[in-house]
Amino acid sequence: MSANRPLLATERAALIMQLVPFLLERGEVSVVDAAAAFDVSAAQMREMVEKLTVIGRPGDGGYWQLPNDLFDIDWDLLDQQDRIALTHTVGLERAPRLTAREAAALLAGLQLTGSLPGLAGSDLVAGLLAKLARGAGGLPADVIVAPAPVDAARDTVDAALRAGVAVTFTYKAPNAPATTRTVDPVKVHIADAQWYLQGWCHMREGMRTFHLDRVSDIALTDIPIEHAGEPLPALFEPSAFDAVARVRFPAAVAPLLGDYLDHAEVTQTKGTCIATMRISDAQSLRRLAARRGGDVEILEPPAARRAAAEWAEAGLAQYGSE
Amino acid sequence: MGGVARIDASRSAPEERLVNLVVALMATEQGLTKDTILSSVSGYREQAETGASKDALEKMFERDKENLRGLGVPIETLGDHADPDDLREARYRVPTAEYALPDDIAFTAAEIALLNLAGSVWSESSMSEQASSGLRKIRALGNTVDEPIIGYAPRISVRDHAFAPLQRAIEQARTVTFPYLKPGERAPRLRRVRPLALVEYEARWHVLGVDVEADAERTFLLSRITDAVVVTRDAFDADLRRGAGERALEGLRRLASSQTALVEVHPGTEAALRLSRRAVPAVQGLRIPYVDAHILADELASYGPEVRVVEPASLRDLVIERLRGARARHGGVG
Repeated sequence: MSANRPLLATERAALIMQLVPFLLERGEVSVVDAAAAFDVSAAQMREMVEKLTVIGRPGDGGYWQLPNDLFDIDWDLLDQQDRIALTHTVGLERAPRLTAREAAALLAGLQLTGSLPGLAGSDLVAGLLAKLARGAGGLPADVIVAPAPVDAARDTVDAALRAGVAVTFTYKAPNAPATTRTVDPVKVHIADAQWYLQGWCHMREGMRTFHLDRVSDIALTDIPIEHAGEPLPALFEPSAFDAVARVRFPAAVAPLLGDYLDHAEVTQTKGTCIATMRISDAQSLRRLAARRGGDVEILEPPAARRAAAEWAEAGLAQYGSE
Repeated sequence: MGGVARIDASRSAPEERLVNLVVALMATEQGLTKDTILSSVSGYREQAETGASKDALEKMFERDKENLRGLGVPIETLGDHADPDDLREARYRVPTAEYALPDDIAFTAAEIALLNLAGSVWSESSMSEQASSGLRKIRALGNTVDEPIIGYAPRISVRDHAFAPLQRAIEQARTVTFPYLKPGERAPRLRRVRPLALVEYEARWHVLGVDVEADAERTFLLSRITDAVVVTRDAFDADLRRGAGERALEGLRRLASSQTALVEVHPGTEAALRLSRRAVPAVQGLRIPYVDAHILADELASYGPEVRVVEPASLRDLVIERLRGARARHGGVG
């Protein structure tokens, strides 16, 4: 993730203050494991531990600190086995309170996870909200995530995950006829308030992703899940069969394109961007073009560009001569 | 001999000085004066000895104090009883009870599992780092048998550049300014706002704040902030923030229930599937509650021929305008 990112002195100080209680709790830990827990490289972790040993209380009389005034570690263990163990501490033994921002990040995440079927309204969430509020040093900024309504489809998927059985449903992908699917549910992704079910499709005999809004007539089966162990694709993984599209738009519009740009290559000249991206369904671009009302221009493929004009035209035709 | 030999006065890193300061301030009950700190805490002491000016050292101390407070370290200033404004004799300390997580807070394995999931939702790196850092502190309390919650991978996206500065301004209760482009207006207008809460509603981030010019609470969409949010030095009463998140959410919900659009949809289409989830069936089609006509118009336009807006007329016009724009941009239909 962010490993090896250069850290500011203040960030390094914050990590050192967390390192002492972490090491006390673990007892003895490898440099690699500690680095992973702190999201830094092994070299950065080793450097932090070495820094720790020159930190301590001011010495009596304001001069040289005695070893007793400083943190210390088992140097042989570090040098020979790449493992860390504290042998002497002079403070910082207890974990610091959460900062307002740390608490806000967890509180907002908790609102989203707390709205999942099975957790909504549970004592677990309420108890945690109270503990986080008490464990924060400052008043966190209110960062609120409005829960999306949980409907029958979501409840059924949740029940199937818990019971370990397959679900059946009608699936209507855009621009394709509806099909009846039986799916071993594996994972529910929630992104931009949309719910996606990933699971093993009995018809396609492979892992597939289903947008829950396109699912209807869903029901539990009594078929036990058998294919949960197979590797899952990433949520929006471009596949080899995808088309390559190029779209042009003003730079200011970029944040409105959301996940379309997550895997795109974007070049910008004088406030105009051109994005090149692989998409699973070139036809879907006509929806994007209509949504942005002319701000987004599909350059390629030509069929998608034509489709965008026809889509808008067909929409307009409903309004007669207006 | 670990410590002594490794001290190198001239090259001690700033993070060492910062942590030394915290250790020193936590070890004292009655507090340390600035002079004591500068002459005894490692990191300042060496610089004082090698001839750094008192002025420079004091500035460094002020900056360090500021940075540590930014990390959440509660540095207390104990002033002169006779003259509380006179900071020459002020003493500084960090009370352990306010620094450390309370003794009696403990987390069960099930709670840690839920927090792990809650901390993993951020797809944006700065919030994600904050969540991990908070989790690390909690996990240092012990009792961390991992019981992953299987089956769910929720994500929150923050694509708006305005999010981070607004959050900082809310924390510090500072007024901000930003250019805001209202749909239908030709150019963005500079707003002066006391930000109170950030709310994600239907996958879009909003900020509730007091619009200073209007002297009333307003909700702004972060995606309509066209340029940098400037955090001013103008502080406001943090009490304004009380209950702001709930208020913002309430306001958005009230708005959604007070205005609805009537649309006709073609059965079996994407539009029918998506819209019927949040609509109320009506005689002539579906009634859809909405918060913002422009955003609903964006969505309805994307459905092209799958949906026709019956009313309100203003919404229908917005949809037609988008469809015309898209048709023209793609060379019309030849």
